[in-house]
Amino acid sequence: MDLAALEKQLRTLQASAETHVSAVTASAELDDLGSSLLGKRGAITEILRGIGDLPAEDRPKIGVIANEVRAAIDALVSARRETIKADELRDQIERERSDATTPGPAPSVGSLHPIPETIAAITEIMAAFGFVVAEGQEIEDDVTNFQLLNIPEDHPSRDLWDTLYLKEPGRLLRTHTSPGQIRTMQAGGPPIRVILPGRCFRYEAVDASHGFEFHQVEGLLVDRSASLSDLKGILNELARGLFGPATQTRFRPGYYPFTEPSVAVDVSWPGSKDGWMTILGAGMVHPVVLENGGIDPETHQGFAFGLGVERIAMLRHNIPDLRAFLENDIRFLSGFR
Amino acid sequence: MRVPLAWLREFTDVQLSPEQLADALTLRGLEVRGVERWGANWNNIVVGEILEVGPHPKADRLQLTKVRIGDGPILNIVCGAKNIAAGQRVPVALVGAEMPDGRRIERAEKMGIASEGMLCSGQELGATDDGDGILILDPSAALGAPIVDLIGDDVIDVDVKPNRGDLLSILGLAREVSAITGAPVTYATRPLSESPEPIAAGLSLQVADVALAPHVVLRVVDNVRVGASPDRVQMRLKAAGLRSISNVVDATNYIMLEIGKPTHAFDRSRVGSTVHIRRASAGERLETLDHEDRALDASDLVVADERSALALAGVMGGASSEVSTATTSVIIESAIFAPTSVRRTAQRHALRSEASHRFERGQERRLATLGADQVAALLELWAGGVARSGRLVHGSDASSASTLSFRPSRVRSLLGINLPDDEQVALLGTVGMAEAAAPKKVSVAVTPGHAVAVSNEEVRAVQVPTWRSDIQIEADVAEEVARLYGYDRIAPTLPSADLPSYRPRPTQLRDRVRRLLADQGFHEVVTHALISAERSQLWSEPANLIPSSLAASEGSAEGSIILLSNPLSADHDRLRQSLLPSLLDRVDVNLRYGATTGAIFEIGRGYGMTKGTAAEWTRLAIAVWGEREAGSAGVRATRWSLDEVKRIIAHLAHLVGERPGYGAPVESQLLHPGLSATIVGNHVGGLVGELHPGSNLWRDEPRILIAELAIRGLRAGKLSVESVALPPTTPPVMRDVALLLPASTTVGEVMRIARDTVTTATAVELFDLFVGPPLAAGERSAGLRFTFQPTAPGSDDDSIVAELTHFEGAVGRATGARVRGAEEQ
Repeated sequence: MDLAALEKQLRTLQASAETHVSAVTASAELDDLGSSLLGKRGAITEILRGIGDLPAEDRPKIGVIANEVRAAIDALVSARRETIKADELRDQIERERSDATTPGPAPSVGSLHPIPETIAAITEIMAAFGFVVAEGQEIEDDVTNFQLLNIPEDHPSRDLWDTLYLKEPGRLLRTHTSPGQIRTMQAGGPPIRVILPGRCFRYEAVDASHGFEFHQVEGLLVDRSASLSDLKGILNELARGLFGPATQTRFRPGYYPFTEPSVAVDVSWPGSKDGWMTILGAGMVHPVVLENGGIDPETHQGFAFGLGVERIAMLRHNIPDLRAFLENDIRFLSGFR
Repeated sequence: MRVPLAWLREFTDVQLSPEQLADALTLRGLEVRGVERWGANWNNIVVGEILEVGPHPKADRLQLTKVRIGDGPILNIVCGAKNIAAGQRVPVALVGAEMPDGRRIERAEKMGIASEGMLCSGQELGATDDGDGILILDPSAALGAPIVDLIGDDVIDVDVKPNRGDLLSILGLAREVSAITGAPVTYATRPLSESPEPIAAGLSLQVADVALAPHVVLRVVDNVRVGASPDRVQMRLKAAGLRSISNVVDATNYIMLEIGKPTHAFDRSRVGSTVHIRRASAGERLETLDHEDRALDASDLVVADERSALALAGVMGGASSEVSTATTSVIIESAIFAPTSVRRTAQRHALRSEASHRFERGQERRLATLGADQVAALLELWAGGVARSGRLVHGSDASSASTLSFRPSRVRSLLGINLPDDEQVALLGTVGMAEAAAPKKVSVAVTPGHAVAVSNEEVRAVQVPTWRSDIQIEADVAEEVARLYGYDRIAPTLPSADLPSYRPRPTQLRDRVRRLLADQGFHEVVTHALISAERSQLWSEPANLIPSSLAASEGSAEGSIILLSNPLSADHDRLRQSLLPSLLDRVDVNLRYGATTGAIFEIGRGYGMTKGTAAEWTRLAIAVWGEREAGSAGVRATRWSLDEVKRIIAHLAHLVGERPGYGAPVESQLLHPGLSATIVGNHVGGLVGELHPGSNLWRDEPRILIAELAIRGLRAGKLSVESVALPPTTPPVMRDVALLLPASTTVGEVMRIARDTVTTATAVELFDLFVGPPLAAGERSAGLRFTFQPTAPGSDDDSIVAELTHFEGAVGRATGARVRGAEEQ
């Protein structure tokens, strides 16, 4: 075998490689072809086995030629690979093409009930003023639900709370969250800033604005200097937090046996349809109640407020009938996202 | 309290419009519930003058009238009333008028004669209770004027709070109005002309229970002719919301409204020689005016004669001594009764009256005499009566105005305003609290039972009028000052004093759980805590379902069902022990509303009673049915299944750092025994399963799955703060163990043993569960994958092997499960 014959073999290989490479259409096939030409056991390697027969001075020459051919084939394969890749990508895209504009499946979306969410809204607003949440018991006794709150037995103010009593003597379902005031004060002294949300019960016929089970939020602040003006300030913040920054409040004297002075609070806001709407009752904690809570009314004073959660939720969400809250129709609940 | 303003104006000048007055009263704490133009429904009813009255040619009971209405044409009106005569001015409903009862007045033929309108009786107008005669108006009434302008009135409805019994009268409200307007209050007592006959002739008064009747006054009026009250009296009572009964009863009601003093009139001829005020004896009976025969007991105070009870004192009179048309002589009883006694009697007999309402709120002593005299005077005016001379009196009027000391500085501190001492005193003066000299040694009432000695310099004192029994302590003065100053004038501030030092967040976990479930597609519900016996029987949590340490934080479900003594209905007569019955009730409602798919949850309380101690526990209940995730074109929906619910439970348990296990189900009517399990963990517990096929609510499609859980921290806890280790660079190591389970062995038991024995595993999961050939019937093959986290490559190999060997032995001994060799897998 001489130089010329080897070179011819290489050039022939190169020529046939051109034909074969351009005929390949799949990348796997191209990989096989590439290694059959260029691999360790490939055609070029085979041809160069004959190099041992050449005279020493020709060997570098054939090496140069072989590298030239190898490079050319390699370039061919690479170019072909790019083409095939592009084709395959295009094919894949076409193969996988689908109408991606379909709506897709509906999500299973849940909701948070407006009553606990209204409570959460109130507690969040009040948290900014240092009020913490505490939850009392719903089964109360007459002493804590009434007497310690300055509502003696046989007092006409008891007519304000129609009560559901347990068969167990002296026990009742709390008619308001106010007994929590007593329990909070008894549990620890001032300074006190608490929010007491929870379920309450009354002997009351059900209609669009009444139920025998409902929720209240009580607030209580006791320190050395809390005043009626502070109460106004705090309740203004609460009202604006609940009904928006343009909410107006109106404070007028009210009556609750456990506060003195007592306050009734009305709100109105742009777009509220009924003018002034009463949303809560409040007042300076009655000195008798402070005393019953173990706090000296000569050294400490405080204020308390209570609001009906259902009423707030009805006003905020424009709900005409509070029975919807206990009905729990999923179609209604889905409105609360 | 309905207040006709014309009546109010008798006692004080009111220049304000009804609406202005309503606003002013409301801002003073006398909430006005409504302002009504009484008579506003008298449209096209005007004053007319009867010119002629003549017979109807065809009907004896009808008369023909000619009526002049101002300048218009003379109207021919047919009328059936007998009390009409030429020259009278009367209400004429013109053609086109609509009567208060909805009837329309039209031109009509009455027995062949055209009638161009209608003459109105007081009853037709709703102005009096007289339906027989035409209402005869003042002869000076302007012809053609709408009668609403003549006899109509503005009525404001004031919500009087329980502490202000003094405002349950026109005179009391006049005092408040006077404080607003500055115009004085004038009340002129009506004079009485007494006959020479002394009251004591043939009548005496005996009060047996002085504590319950501290002051009693009797008057006797003879010569009474019982009949209708004057029209203007009837109209006034009607406007105030009371019916007119007779001149005698109306007189007592009139004085009750006017000065707030309930009194009672007895037919003298039906009362013996002595009026007794005493407690009823057990077994005594009384027929009250509403014709109820009532059984009395010793807690009831009665007015009686020597023979029997005549009236429930302060509540209601008796039928036997009721004033009738045959009555000619009347005993007026005007007394001060103990408020609690009246309240108890009224409550016990379910008999709340205008009188008891006022007695419950306390009465001024001086009103007893005033009331008796004023009713007697009205009987002289309205019924031709003559009062006997003198009164029978027990007890005395004695109630001197008390002096109350207060610290203006304290008032400023409570109100947060800088109102000088003198201005405070001046404001109090507007409601009759004149300044008084403060005593030398002075104490201030902080509460009714707690007075503190203070220095004379820091104190001012005022006279508290006898009618203001609500003003007793310093805080009451503060409220009065605030009320008179105007709450709206107090500038809002924010509290600047100390904050509590530690502020826990007890709802932190609860809120996290709620959000998680909502994000998983659940709707939060709030259901009744009060349920029926039937619902209640459905399920109650066994006390041992929740491990004791978890029950300690979330509440232990224990005790018997709590029943109400006065339920509104049998549907809500007891407190629930579990949330599931009321939750299932809501599932039912939603299914009926067509929700074929749903997922709801509630976090709420269960209740129980043990030996007088009430327990309340907090649980999460969930119910799901239908599709977990909706499908779409080319997308398959996933349906709720036990495993999908367990996925939710796993999410929840993860919040408290737990992967719970499942144990044998609890036998119940609630859950499918073969498709339910208890939830077993240290921080979560409860049960989960499909609804029992025997349940009323069960349906083949969709299946309903429910769970009720205790989660540590749900009641009052927060998410705990964990130490979190940085992971080593070594990858975790997995080891699989395949077990052949005998038919009786549950995976839950195997998993429990795995967790107990392989304590270094960071996770144990079931990755395969196989039944069928080549396994024997009932046998199952379970593949468990243990994950370990070695700190260095190969560092724990020996201990892992040892632990797994220990597990394989333990599970074999406990359940008969054996390890399947590699060749069997």
